Amino acid sequence: MTARPLGGAAAGLLLALVVASQSLAELPRRLRTLRAFAPRELAVRRLGGSGAAFDRRYFSFLENTRRRLPASTPGVALAGVPGDDSHLYLASYALAPVFVSVGPFPSGHPPRGWIVASYGEAPAAAPVFARLPEGALLGPVP
Amino acid sequence: MTAFAGSLASVAGGILLAGAAGWLCAAALLPAGRLFRAERYGWSFAVGCALLAAFVPLSLLLRVTPGWIPFLVVSAAAGVTARAFRLEPWPAPGNPTARASKLLLALVALGVCAYALRALTEPMWANDFVAIWGLKGKTIFGTAGYPERFYRSPALSFSHPEYPLGLPLLYAGTAFLLGRWDDHAMALLFPLFQVATLCVLWGWLRRRSVPPAAALLSAGVLAWFEPLYSGFLTGMADVPLSFGALLLGTSLADALEETDGGALRRLAFASALIAAIKNEGLFLAAAAAAIALLSTRRSGRRAALTALSAALVVRTAHVPWRSRLPLADFDLGSGSWARLGESLAAAAALVGPVLGAGLALALLLVAIGGRHRAGDRILGLCACALGAYLTLPAFAVRGPEWLVRTTLPRTASALAPLACAAIAVRFSVGGASSGSTARPRGSEPRPGPPAPSTRES
Repeated sequence: MTARPLGGAAAGLLLALVVASQSLAELPRRLRTLRAFAPRELAVRRLGGSGAAFDRRYFSFLENTRRRLPASTPGVALAGVPGDDSHLYLASYALAPVFVSVGPFPSGHPPRGWIVASYGEAPAAAPVFARLPEGALLGPVP
Repeated sequence: MTAFAGSLASVAGGILLAGAAGWLCAAALLPAGRLFRAERYGWSFAVGCALLAAFVPLSLLLRVTPGWIPFLVVSAAAGVTARAFRLEPWPAPGNPTARASKLLLALVALGVCAYALRALTEPMWANDFVAIWGLKGKTIFGTAGYPERFYRSPALSFSHPEYPLGLPLLYAGTAFLLGRWDDHAMALLFPLFQVATLCVLWGWLRRRSVPPAAALLSAGVLAWFEPLYSGFLTGMADVPLSFGALLLGTSLADALEETDGGALRRLAFASALIAAIKNEGLFLAAAAAAIALLSTRRSGRRAALTALSAALVVRTAHVPWRSRLPLADFDLGSGSWARLGESLAAAAALVGPVLGAGLALALLLVAIGGRHRAGDRILGLCACALGAYLTLPAFAVRGPEWLVRTTLPRTASALAPLACAAIAVRFSVGGASSGSTARPRGSEPRPGPPAPSTRES
């Protein structure tokens, strides 16, 4: 066998291997998902997607927070949020361009004008300016 | 029309217009004519993306809100400049025997459709999109600026302030044209990156006299290469980087062989583009320069200077936004031979039966394809990148095994377009590339030794 037919056979095998190792069964499922979610608004599509799958209630909390934030909010301090990276990353992205931080803050508390987004129970004594189904928004910090 | 379809159509319209502007500008990079047409589609998309990204900082510098008018002004200025430097049309027709196998063509098209479905199923969601690329893009769009906290605040060190801003600017530019942030519709950029990559791969291989069946087999393998073209990697920098790497590799080979008057310009553009996407883009441009210096011809020195200087110009443009924070993921003092061994062992552990069979077939193809200057140079570029990806984990703060396991599969998969080009070009027909046939006026490379035959054995 000369180089060219041997190369053709090897390339054909490689192509067959690449195609056969695909997760082809997921494609119809993806199509169904796309058809089901395409008419919905963007936030609902994200809520139903992989990015929020680790804690869908948390994404709902962030989306509700985003909708209630005053336009001039300089930053949001998260409270009651699990300490893993995924929760921080999703909050930073969902609330962008507003700066999101879990602290600790140099002064011991969030900077002036910041909103505290409390996931779950809100502290009883805190000044709540918006109650959400998944938590509360406190502040702004004086 | 659904909410998603409407947004998708708007994003498609914006990208199409950017691509059209890119087509006009690409006249300064590739000669007009059938021989370069497929490649020009891919390069036009690259230039269009560059315009979409570049008009944002240019608008902000001039204190203008980014939008359609600044974009059209920047595109028109780029188009007029490119027209002044346009290359003469290439007189030779496209390669004969361009009759492609319909079955292979259909397979490539199906691969593209499969990736489009994976990319567009849901809003972009990968960890790195949310924490780095999308976060920066959404913030640039939302604030019409780049807040200082991104390169000064340790609270945002997870967003990698040391990364270049090309991809976030592309997202922001697309959002400014759309008028809102839509991270689902913008995912359309990714299947288009794949299509552009396939156009460049097919066009370059055909121009280098690779038979249509071999070029299509190569495109088919790439179109279905799920480790790169997956739903997870959509939104991250690996797919754009893989496209940039192919542009860099093919233009480097062309510039060293002086195939046409646009080769050196393409090398400059590709080096700048890839340096704007990821940190290893600068490394790849430097590796391209080193490979060029291995050539004893004058074109080698010229290509090295072009690749390195273009990449450095882009990185210099990032200086105002350069990170003031120490590197969080790497400690240069922690490297040792033992940690390098750990890194290599972790990489070897990733090779299962399917990957092992694939690598064996790829190596067999390299062995039986014979030596080819362009192929060897592109393989050299691949080897430099792979060497860096295997060495760098030895300096990882969280340990070599962790970094190899979490990043090597996707970073190495971004070398697939380069590898496909390097392997397939070894099966070119005859001794000389079509690119070294009679050149028209204006497409002449600068005086130098005659263009060599590309095939060595």
